[in-house]
Amino acid sequence: MSERETVIELKNVDYTYQAGSPFAAAALHDVNIRVRRGTLVGIAGGTGSGKSTLLQLVNGLLLPTGGSVSVLDHVLTPGMKKPRLNSLRRRVGLSFQFPEQHLFEDTVEKDLMFGPLNFGMPREEAQNRAAEALRAMRLDEALLKRHPLTLSGGQMRKAAIASVLAAGPEIVMLDEPTATLDSAARRELISLLERLCREEGRTILMVTHRVEELLHAADEWIVMHEGRAVFQGGPDELAGRAGELGGWGVAVPEQLRCWREWTSRLPQLSSLPMPRTAEEMAGAIERAVRGAGGSGGGPEREENLCATN
Amino acid sequence: MRDKLILGRMIPTGSRVHELDPRAKITAMLLFAAALILSGGWAELAVLAVFSVIVLTATKIPLRTYLRALRPLRWLMLFVFLFQLFAGAGAGAAADSAAWTLGPVTLTAAGLSGALLAVSRMALLIVFTAMLTFTTTPSMLSRGIEGMIKPLSRKGSTGAERFSLMMRLALRFIPALLEESQTILKAQAARGADYEEMKIKEKARLLMSLLVPVTVGAFRRAEELTTSLEARGYRIGAPRTSYRRLSWSGADTFFTLLFVLLLAGTLTMRLML
Repeated sequence: MSERETVIELKNVDYTYQAGSPFAAAALHDVNIRVRRGTLVGIAGGTGSGKSTLLQLVNGLLLPTGGSVSVLDHVLTPGMKKPRLNSLRRRVGLSFQFPEQHLFEDTVEKDLMFGPLNFGMPREEAQNRAAEALRAMRLDEALLKRHPLTLSGGQMRKAAIASVLAAGPEIVMLDEPTATLDSAARRELISLLERLCREEGRTILMVTHRVEELLHAADEWIVMHEGRAVFQGGPDELAGRAGELGGWGVAVPEQLRCWREWTSRLPQLSSLPMPRTAEEMAGAIERAVRGAGGSGGGPEREENLCATN
Repeated sequence: MRDKLILGRMIPTGSRVHELDPRAKITAMLLFAAALILSGGWAELAVLAVFSVIVLTATKIPLRTYLRALRPLRWLMLFVFLFQLFAGAGAGAAADSAAWTLGPVTLTAAGLSGALLAVSRMALLIVFTAMLTFTTTPSMLSRGIEGMIKPLSRKGSTGAERFSLMMRLALRFIPALLEESQTILKAQAARGADYEEMKIKEKARLLMSLLVPVTVGAFRRAEELTTSLEARGYRIGAPRTSYRRLSWSGADTFFTLLFVLLLAGTLTMRLML
């Protein structure tokens, strides 16, 4: 994976809201981050840790007050004359928190076409893209003619995410897209993001405060704490530092706690990397137990242990 | 949008002005406005200006911040200046002392002085209002007003309480709505419609498109808020204790008296000079 090109690089980035005014509030300090093309990156952190600010910097909605932000072929630096950023934003999509509140047109179709039209696509293509994005989010095309405010909460959220996908961005950033979704919709959304990443080679950055929902899918994690990027690395590395997560305001994911319990009871497991899915974990435990000549029933016990955690 | 609008937000510095009773500050504000309106010339204005600079310094908020509060109103101030300059009381009266004439437009020294006076008054008033909001939280402000109108209302009437609640909710909604429109603008910018990069016509269209979601959002918030107030047992006219009681102290009397003196002084100067 190391040969993949870097698409996002933040060097010593600082950001202060309302800099120079009495309400100045520092949001980011000395953030250094690299994201490679085609990876799925989870961004975790407590509230107010700077996750959302980070995404807005990558989209050029905010200019850094210190350091530099390189995204694709653009470099954003403090105090620069704000360049025209549409060529960047066409390639970097950003879905805000509570995206359903940002729908504003009178039909879903118009809302989905808003981005593509702004990026200079002809009407027909924009229309095709809108329908395609809706299908990608597994929504019925009949919704295209509906008023966005008449959709259900979950549909609205998906339509809003579709409105970002409609422009066909290479980098897709989502700010807590799964908050307020039910667990089935959450899982569906994450498998969709995984597909966008694995099959279409898009780079995905997803902010979440539920690490467990993305743990099986993410290639890499960034943990933000009080405006600093305190961690960047793979899931195994994250698992290795599970003890520190609490201090960073991130709840230790269930899978990690479960795996830790198992490794403390079956020391032969501790050399293995943490399995990403429940099936893999059960398999690893079964092999370890069978190998040690113990009795079977590993998977069953594992489930029990997870449930009691 | 919110970066520029700094009027109406408290800046905590812990100064003595911050600790004053809101009723004292509101009364002082009214007295100051009265003195400003009654002031007739540069001498009175100079006294008021010196006085207000002293009070502003006492708030421990940098004077620069007060000047920033003037910024959003600069066009209105320019308009007032020009209007006074060419159509104000001093403009036509002394046409013989015309300093400069161009066709029907006459510029006189008196007109210039009058226009400058009008703008200075306006600036002082704005700066002083800013002092009130910079040193007092909106909830204390509305409590202060409630405390001031309560003695005026009939016994047993809930008018003061209603008014105060209404004002507090309105004040609570302004930043919320601003923030909401700002996120929508940002979401639109992210989808390729950057407000700052647009021509004026496109800007107008985009702002119009904000109307629906922001209004809908406001109604949603209002509904949630009333439900939540009700759910927590809020009832107009219910006997209720205050979280923070207003207490009038010697400093408040002193502060108010200062402004009474200021008003009296301005009046005397006006009558004497």
